[in-house]
Amino acid sequence: MTDIAAVVSAPPKPSLLEVLRSRAFATKTDSLLTVVFLALILYLVYLALDWALFGAVWGADSADLCPQAEGACWSVVAARHRLILFGLYPYELHWRSTLACVSIVATVILSCLPYFWTARRLSALWIVGFAAYYLLMEGSPIGLEQVTTDQWGGLSLTLFLFASVVLLGMPMGLGLALARRSKLPVISLGVSILIDFIRSLPLLTTLFTAAVVVPILLPDWLHGDKIWRVIVAFALFFACYQAEVFRGGFQAIHKGQFEAGMALGLSAWRIMDKIVLPQVFRHALPGTINMVVVTFKETAIVIIIGFFDILASANAAFGTGEWAPYFLEVYAFVGLIYWVFIFSLSQYGEYLKRRMTVAAR
Amino acid sequence: MTKTLKSLLAAVACAVALPNAAAAESATIQAIKDRGTLLCSGHNGSYFGFVEVNDKNEWKGLDIDLCRAMTTAILGDPNKAQIVPLSWAQRFPALQSGDVDIIIKATGWTMGRDTELGLQFSLPYFFGGAQLMAHADLGVTQATELEGGTVCVEAGTTIERIVADYMKTIDVEHTMVSYEKAAELRAAYLANRCDAFAAWGPFLAVLRATEIDNPDKHVILSDQLSSEPIAAAMRQGDEDFVDLTNWMIAALLIAEEHGITMANVDEVAANPPNPTVARLLGSTPGIGERLGLRDTWAREMIAAVGNFGEIYHRNLGENSPYKLERGLNNLWSHGGLLYAPMLD
Repeated sequence: MTDIAAVVSAPPKPSLLEVLRSRAFATKTDSLLTVVFLALILYLVYLALDWALFGAVWGADSADLCPQAEGACWSVVAARHRLILFGLYPYELHWRSTLACVSIVATVILSCLPYFWTARRLSALWIVGFAAYYLLMEGSPIGLEQVTTDQWGGLSLTLFLFASVVLLGMPMGLGLALARRSKLPVISLGVSILIDFIRSLPLLTTLFTAAVVVPILLPDWLHGDKIWRVIVAFALFFACYQAEVFRGGFQAIHKGQFEAGMALGLSAWRIMDKIVLPQVFRHALPGTINMVVVTFKETAIVIIIGFFDILASANAAFGTGEWAPYFLEVYAFVGLIYWVFIFSLSQYGEYLKRRMTVAAR
Repeated sequence: MTKTLKSLLAAVACAVALPNAAAAESATIQAIKDRGTLLCSGHNGSYFGFVEVNDKNEWKGLDIDLCRAMTTAILGDPNKAQIVPLSWAQRFPALQSGDVDIIIKATGWTMGRDTELGLQFSLPYFFGGAQLMAHADLGVTQATELEGGTVCVEAGTTIERIVADYMKTIDVEHTMVSYEKAAELRAAYLANRCDAFAAWGPFLAVLRATEIDNPDKHVILSDQLSSEPIAAAMRQGDEDFVDLTNWMIAALLIAEEHGITMANVDEVAANPPNPTVARLLGSTPGIGERLGLRDTWAREMIAAVGNFGEIYHRNLGENSPYKLERGLNNLWSHGGLLYAPMLD
């Protein structure tokens, strides 16, 4: 008995030293390659650290030290970070933009928590979150000084665009995916044509049309604010792609499940709601996370239609005589901000995947 | 029945005709006054010296100051200028769709823009031509020596066209590479991806002086590819608004000519040295009525932003990081090309 147990139990975990020996230093060539690449990596890390930390100049007041500095000039970030974060938003009112940012981030984080995953809680959360953002940024409805949307900018605008596009686009995408499966040819064909039409246009064209061409074609009272036109167009674009992601999820579900639902006397809506959609979401999850991450990065495209998003305000941050040589530092800072958000999003995606695997077991 | 119809038609006709009659002087100026702000063009980022953003997140630059001057002339307060960020490609559609009232954004006056795009241009307020900058170690001094080289330009500007035309004229084979952003273009040039960098002369000079580590490693070639008159662009069909823009620019030039500055404008207005100055500053009434403005518009404008020379020096010249010579952008009496119409 004991013999068998010894045989069945897993082999002892190799120590770190053993792993290193077998993986990195097994032969002479292996050892040589390991040493060479390790040295190279260390050298590159040293170069990066030397530029970013050791030789760098810090603090907004030490800008005049920058031309002689060996490394990065972080003074540009110290002096101009408010421009990068808030764009053209009036300087004294930045606290409002900060709070608005927080409300959007909080909304997104909260809607990621399983507690909020019912239609009522989720919609209540979004309405509250977006209303808070809008009221803080615009100001006039709650008696604060009015700030028109063309002054919105920086990180707070990027986050707002991203959150509204995803939150509007996700239900629209589901709607389109369902409509595409409709038994009425008018609806399914119409939606297929719409999806294929919008997917065959570049995002830039779609946004340019919404921002610039629509006001020329439509009467004045139909214009709305440029930012809403762009968000709606962007959300439609997102929805068309997301609809295809959902379609993949639908196709993974066997016809038998629908038939079983009908045999049990469930209504079509209940079959969707209780049997099909939960599985569709699970199947569509990796593609969805992908779409969301790509959309976060794609918001930068609104620079072309004159929005002062985080990348545009970064451009403005190094766009004066004194800061012009330090664009690399500004881009590094913006890159770090992007990385923090996108890395959190993808980690959240991993968490969801693990959670759903548990559910499937 | 017919009677009701007739009176209805008459009412509609009245409703249509009345606003037109009231706005006959200038629909644009009327709209600006009703709105209480002037919508000017900004930039999606910054364009050295012309459109920038300062540490307090406020717009500044030569073009921005001209917009503030215009706003003061119409509305009496420079802070009522509303700057709408626009990309280069977006500026003309934005003007046509009414997103902005006027484009003051380093925009060259070309025939295509004047005719096909349905724009109308003001007096030129700046002259700058396309030029080429090359790495000094190539030993190039003029464009004919760029045979087989790579020239980088900013996409969607007149420079692209000008360089292509010029290189064709002097019969130089070259590869043209376009970049959307000035910073990308700069980086590509510095990384030796292009032999030459085509841009607007003042922009190249600013870049060479402030941004590039060793200015001596770069030469601005002697060829003057173009001399572009830079002017404000407006929608076709509102002559009175164009008149106003022209006289706004003229007033800034006349003020410089007569040494009227931000600091001394009130003194001079109280005690004008000659009839022209008296008319300009409204000490002798008349200048306001002709444009449908207040008699003191020019005086308020100069008090707010200064004369043209002050605006230039603040943004591009000696009081700016760029220290750009005035050159062609001086008054005619100082060897430049800037010329104001007569104030009679």
